[in-house]
Amino acid sequence: MVVLKRLFHSSSNLLLASKHTFQLDPNYKFKCGIEIHTQLKTKYKLFSLSKTSFNESPNTNISYFDIGLPGSQPKLNPEALLLALKAAVALDCDISLQSKFDRKHYFYPDQPLGYQITQFYHPLAKEGRLELDKKFDDIRQDSKIIGIEQIQIEQDTGKLNYNKVDNIINIDYNRSNTPLIELVTKPDFEDLLQVRAFVKKYQSLVRHLNICTGDLETGAIRVDVNISVNGFPRIEIKNLSSHSEIQDALKYEYTRQVSLIKQGKQNEIVQETRGWDGDKTTSLRLKENSVEYRYLPDAELPMVNLDESIINDVKQSLSEFPEQILSKLINQPFNLELKYARFFIDNPVVLQYYYDLYDIVTIKNKESVNMVNNWLLHELIGVFTKLDLKLDLDRIPASKLGDLIMFITSKQISTTSARLLLMQMIENKDNFDKSVSELIELYDLGVPTDISPQEFDEAVEEICHGIISDNADVVEKIKHGQKKSIKYLVGLAMRETQGKVNAKTFEDKLQEIINTL
Amino acid sequence: MLTRISHRSKILCNAYSTVSRPLDPWNSLISSDTRINQYGDRILSGTTYIAKDNIVTKDGVTTSASHMLSNYHSPFNATVIELLADNGSSLIGKSNLDEFGMGSSTTNTYYGPTINPQDNDEKRISGGSSGGSAAAVAAGLATFSLGTDTGGSIRLPASYCGVIGLKPTYGRISRWGVVPYAQTLDTVGIIGKDVDVIEKVYETLNKYDKKDPTSMTTKVRSLVRNTFDEKLIIGIPEEFIIEELDESTKEQWLHYINGLKSLGHDFKVVSIPSIKKSLSTYYTLATAEAASNLSRYDGVRYGFTEDEIQPSASDLITSNRSDSLGLEVQRRIILGNYTLSSVSGDHYLRATKVRQELVNEFNDVFKLPHVLLEDIEKVKSNKCDLLISPTSMGKPPTIKEYTENNDKNFLNSYLNDILTVPSSLAGLPSISVPMKDGSGLQLMSQYGDDELLFRITRQLLTL
Repeated sequence: MVVLKRLFHSSSNLLLASKHTFQLDPNYKFKCGIEIHTQLKTKYKLFSLSKTSFNESPNTNISYFDIGLPGSQPKLNPEALLLALKAAVALDCDISLQSKFDRKHYFYPDQPLGYQITQFYHPLAKEGRLELDKKFDDIRQDSKIIGIEQIQIEQDTGKLNYNKVDNIINIDYNRSNTPLIELVTKPDFEDLLQVRAFVKKYQSLVRHLNICTGDLETGAIRVDVNISVNGFPRIEIKNLSSHSEIQDALKYEYTRQVSLIKQGKQNEIVQETRGWDGDKTTSLRLKENSVEYRYLPDAELPMVNLDESIINDVKQSLSEFPEQILSKLINQPFNLELKYARFFIDNPVVLQYYYDLYDIVTIKNKESVNMVNNWLLHELIGVFTKLDLKLDLDRIPASKLGDLIMFITSKQISTTSARLLLMQMIENKDNFDKSVSELIELYDLGVPTDISPQEFDEAVEEICHGIISDNADVVEKIKHGQKKSIKYLVGLAMRETQGKVNAKTFEDKLQEIINTL
Repeated sequence: MLTRISHRSKILCNAYSTVSRPLDPWNSLISSDTRINQYGDRILSGTTYIAKDNIVTKDGVTTSASHMLSNYHSPFNATVIELLADNGSSLIGKSNLDEFGMGSSTTNTYYGPTINPQDNDEKRISGGSSGGSAAAVAAGLATFSLGTDTGGSIRLPASYCGVIGLKPTYGRISRWGVVPYAQTLDTVGIIGKDVDVIEKVYETLNKYDKKDPTSMTTKVRSLVRNTFDEKLIIGIPEEFIIEELDESTKEQWLHYINGLKSLGHDFKVVSIPSIKKSLSTYYTLATAEAASNLSRYDGVRYGFTEDEIQPSASDLITSNRSDSLGLEVQRRIILGNYTLSSVSGDHYLRATKVRQELVNEFNDVFKLPHVLLEDIEKVKSNKCDLLISPTSMGKPPTIKEYTENNDKNFLNSYLNDILTVPSSLAGLPSISVPMKDGSGLQLMSQYGDDELLFRITRQLLTL
């Protein structure tokens, strides 16, 4: 579901703050590559027919092969292959028409087979790229290409849950055999912004193509980084689960290595794997103690043989890429701010809603696109935020919001009343099936139409006089130049009339009367 | 309910049991059942069978003769078990084997060696690894039995126990539910006294299984061709004429060759040079695959686990494996892990290449085309329809002789496999037919030409 906070709480201030405290030293060259594990959004697991599951009771979605029962055998899920191909095509990779599966051996309780099925000798795709562009991505350079070494399909493991109270490890195999792709970049990153921009762009891409939920927090995407300074041995930092962890771990590790070099202790920089504990990196494993994975071609799984035409077919099947859509949205006729355009990319359902609403309001009814942008992004989403509800567009179809906007532009309802009504439309389930005009009637929010313009004018005048005589002090202020205080009086008038009268009408009338005093 | 008979005191009897628990002084069974199949009108109705205990069954335990799996209950049946149940046969027991199929004696087992029923005076080995399946049939405990054959594990014990043992073409019979040893070589096969029964069971099991990714596809099944010629050209691979063959076995071999000649078949000596490299190739590939396949037995989810709390997960896995896997299994895991480790070089790859050469050389001597390798219309006249060799060097040794010899050098027990390993590496159908001296005669045909073996077996049995 859509997390609205992302839209309204920008982290850019934090980022600015940290930019000031951390800087790369030009004398110490930062070089970095990353590895990303991405859970594919398939219905079933990679080599079995149990469902992929998240947040379900432990060990409820497992089949014989997922837990390595004797005599069970794997069968490749073609949906996983298709999603992996989409990612590979989207990242401009060379697709191998023949790829194979291999076994990578190591013992661990979350690894039921004693090996992971992966693609070591003949991966699905190689030599791809993702271009970062200053227009869309937060980088210093105008553009930067990050090379992609390879993409391979592999199995996820189970999960260990440590019960520290009873000193027990519980194992949940629901995640076991969930399809992953592992993507390895070339060591092309020159600074931390590029790392952040790349991961963000990748998240957005896999979300948009419906390959993965794209979330770091849930572990759907997991990042390992490799960093070396001035060509000294590279250090791997494993399992970073948020952007800030990635940034903090890289900063820490860069600073640590630079300080070792400065102290002449560069021989202490050895190729190793380190972990991030929230404050610092600590050594997990030196290279000479690295795991001997004893790779073996899996003899049961047949070679994946692809027809040459599949690359084009997959390309055709991919919708517009995020960057193309972003570019479209931030320009005429939509004129959206980049952050809102990004929000749409990450939430395809909202994007479609936006297009539908645009179609109704601007294309069909020739009203300003600003109405569309404002009523979707500020008013509608604002209501969900105020009500502390998850964004659920099923509560108000685009056609209905479009109707409401048309009532506003034709001045049949004031903006204030429309806001109140929108709140009711979303909050109250009884209202879901009622049309906008029925609701206006029900809540008596329409601009009064059953009285003559003269009577209406008299009524407005009467209300204004009343307010002015009750608020002599405010009137004094206005007369002495505090022009904005008139808004307070308008507010009182609106409250009195429950917003049925346009605020502008009141403002004009109040001003008119005050001018005569 | 399958019940452990030899090693657990409790025996469950079913109210509707109709067969009595088999007497088994040969220790051929690990567990047994007394219920019979309810279908009375199926092709195998009235037959009983015993399955090697590395074939999983929902009833009872499936131990693979390992302490590691001595408590393992499978939640599902192997495809072969389902097919036999549907066709009317009654599963009455699970048989002893060399642990996980690793051995050629059925002495490497948690349940103690199976004794060859052929010789009641001296305790001889039954061969392996399907020794329990061969011994049970030889002792008349069941109509037939299922075994598995990775490098001779059906043919050798069949030969030692004086019964017929079929290893079909690789992929013909489903391996779903078969505990893998080395799955590029593993096959399920049939042991019996009566070739007609074996053929009937073969026809029942010879089905594509979508659960087994290595099952021969329906398309390949439709493409394979069978030999229908009356008069065959039978090849004698010169690499099988070896010094270590017992004199009596050589004589018997010649006797049957002459017998087949008298029936009108022609013979020729052929050469398949890579047979000489096949033993080292086999042990390189099989142990590497075994090391991988047996990695899952860590005692974490099922199987043997230590009573005492271990300091860490890796300590638990280490002690579970060290304390419950037998010596020969541990040896092969270590050999295999050496092969796969980066320090050893590329033995696995090189062994795969030798295997490919061997496949090509075998193919060169056969008349019928190999459907996976060449044009299916291509028939090579003047080439062989069938190959013939002994299955074993001679009679089975006594358990004492075997154990002493093996203790001297464990490689001794690997040597006998030279006769059976080549057709396993090439995936070819092979059958062992008893010879009169207590050893066996092995027939091998082209990939997919399993049915020829039944016809010639019938002719051999008349000689």
